[in-house]
Amino acid sequence: MPSDDADLVHTVAAEPAAVRVSGLSKTFGAHQVLKSVSLDVPKGSVTAIIGPSGAGKSTALRCMNLLERPDSGVIQIGSHIIDIDHGVSTRNLAALRRSAGMVFQNFNLFPHMTVLRNITLPQQRVLGRSRDEAEAIAHQLLARMGLPDKGSQYPNKCSGGQQQRVAIARALALGPEVMLFDEPTSALDPEVGAEVLEVMKELASEGMTMVVVTHEMGFAARVSDQVVVMADGGVIEKGAPQDVLHHPEHERTARFLHAVLER
Amino acid sequence: MNVLIDVATDLRDYLPELLGGLRLSVILTLSSLVLGLPIALALAFGVTAAHDVLRWACVAVVEFGRGAPVLVVLQLAYFGLPDAGVTLSAQVAATAALTLMSAAYLAEYLRGGIAAVPPGEVEGCLALGMSRRDTLRYVTVPQGVRIALPSMMGFSVMLFQATSLAYSVAVPELMSRAYSIGSSNFRYLSMFIAAGLLYAVIAIPCTWASVYLEKLLNRHA
Amino acid sequence: MIRTILAGLPLTLLITATAMALGTLLAVPLTLGLRAGAPPVRWVCRVVVDLFRGVPQLVWLFIIYYGVSAGDARPTALGAGVAALGLVASGYLAEIFRGALKGVAAGQWEAAAALGFSPATTWARILTPQAARVALPAYTNYAIALLKDSAIVSTIGVAEMVFRTGQVARTSDMGVFVYVFTAVIYIALSAPLGMLSRRSDIKLREAVAR
Repeated sequence: MPSDDADLVHTVAAEPAAVRVSGLSKTFGAHQVLKSVSLDVPKGSVTAIIGPSGAGKSTALRCMNLLERPDSGVIQIGSHIIDIDHGVSTRNLAALRRSAGMVFQNFNLFPHMTVLRNITLPQQRVLGRSRDEAEAIAHQLLARMGLPDKGSQYPNKCSGGQQQRVAIARALALGPEVMLFDEPTSALDPEVGAEVLEVMKELASEGMTMVVVTHEMGFAARVSDQVVVMADGGVIEKGAPQDVLHHPEHERTARFLHAVLER
Repeated sequence: MNVLIDVATDLRDYLPELLGGLRLSVILTLSSLVLGLPIALALAFGVTAAHDVLRWACVAVVEFGRGAPVLVVLQLAYFGLPDAGVTLSAQVAATAALTLMSAAYLAEYLRGGIAAVPPGEVEGCLALGMSRRDTLRYVTVPQGVRIALPSMMGFSVMLFQATSLAYSVAVPELMSRAYSIGSSNFRYLSMFIAAGLLYAVIAIPCTWASVYLEKLLNRHA
Repeated sequence: MIRTILAGLPLTLLITATAMALGTLLAVPLTLGLRAGAPPVRWVCRVVVDLFRGVPQLVWLFIIYYGVSAGDARPTALGAGVAALGLVASGYLAEIFRGALKGVAAGQWEAAAALGFSPATTWARILTPQAARVALPAYTNYAIALLKDSAIVSTIGVAEMVFRTGQVARTSDMGVFVYVFTAVIYIALSAPLGMLSRRSDIKLREAVAR
């Protein structure tokens, strides 16, 4: 058994969390949507956030890149830290958002631009890449997503699953340290959703740090390293998938899982 | 039946002069649109600005431009301003008045269009780390204008028809020409019908085009 | 001065209301014609509506006032004004009504037929009430626009507000103020109507949101 000193050294030398939020709280009018939510996502791992509707899962995720502004808390992505109580500087925020890529339930592609331009424009405007460089990277990513010929098409000509994969490519093109997924397959048919989950699985196996809000229990069980269960604005349970999903400690978790598996 | 023959003869005889008037009507329309559009874009953002004075000023301009009858604004520009020391020629006065009107109406359409841009797209931009300026430039404004386009085209047709009122401030556009020819050959009815047809020949196809454009844009979105 | 201008207000309102009424009345057969089964009927109505809307109001006004005569009888300025405004209104309102009827789902006809309603009852009880609700915002918007358009009758001498404004402005050396004053009156008149229309428009939009 290692001595305490060795333990300490090991802990200090371990990879820092790629994503860490602590004390996230938010109130909408009279309703407290987030009650001091805290969680860590180690680098290179996948965390799935599950729970009943209205639990605040999406809100918590959207607080991570400040699409929603929490009332208090500390957000850390990679080496960028934002402490709400100390104010949010624009530069800091921009840097944090560059390190975190986000994929939305409704894709949020730009309908008036081709698929290629959807992916190249952010590279050019946010990272200052040249057009040629941006296009080369875009083509690479499209090929990786299994959509090598879709560049010149408009989003509305692509299926839902294809659009979501374009959205993933668009986020990846900026080279983020972390990828945030907000119910990426909820707006898709199960068959089509599977394509997207495949891509996400590959991304995970390549070592991307991912936080995924999802209803896909299969994905949570097989791909994630940590499952976080939220309900009523708070984290009620977290741990390894086999523990949380098969041997939940809390009654609320058990109830939720039971309802989900029943369907 | 006499009337129709009259109209035909008058068109043949006076077409060049009438077309000269029509040309001026079109020039008035286009210059008011070209000048009014950038102002309208600024107003569209101004009416929702955080700064109180700026917002009230923009709202006042929009409400005045949309709420005042065109005839009143035209007469204000041509007959009223001289009392305040600003004397404008007929055409300049008419253009100024119509520009104000265009800016006000187009501002409302643009504001509606911009507001109708799906917020998710703006969120997509923010999540990618795009600056607010870039978000406006590449996503919000292009989409907003696209959405507002059918209404703006419809307005342009209305503006074209409104130029007929410039006759009352001595602008030698189509109506003025028709009226002055009519007062010399006493065939008012056929002159006005001829003028009406000339307006219709431009206005009706433009209206059809804007309806077609609306259908086209709805398919793309 | 203010009193002179405001003395024209009743006439302005009268012209607007009468033209609106006339336009609504004329719009009904036009709307039915636009939706008729027989193509020639549809065509004729289409041309009529497009002409009413495509030719500027001022031109219609002058055509009726300067051009129309039955023997020695000529229309009065007021009559010509109301007729012209009503004519143009009928074109726009016919389009508004047509759009509103189209908006009332085709399923309504079928449901009514399946339930055994007569065409008359279907029109009266099912279609018209629903179409009216859909058409209301556009209808009120047009009324507000017509209020401002009524100013054109001043060009043929009807002594409504804008005519009087012109008279007053010519004899005063505060021309700007006079015109602005009149503009403000029109704005004040249309504000409550506008708010009403916007509120009903928002409610209907929420119901049909993309």
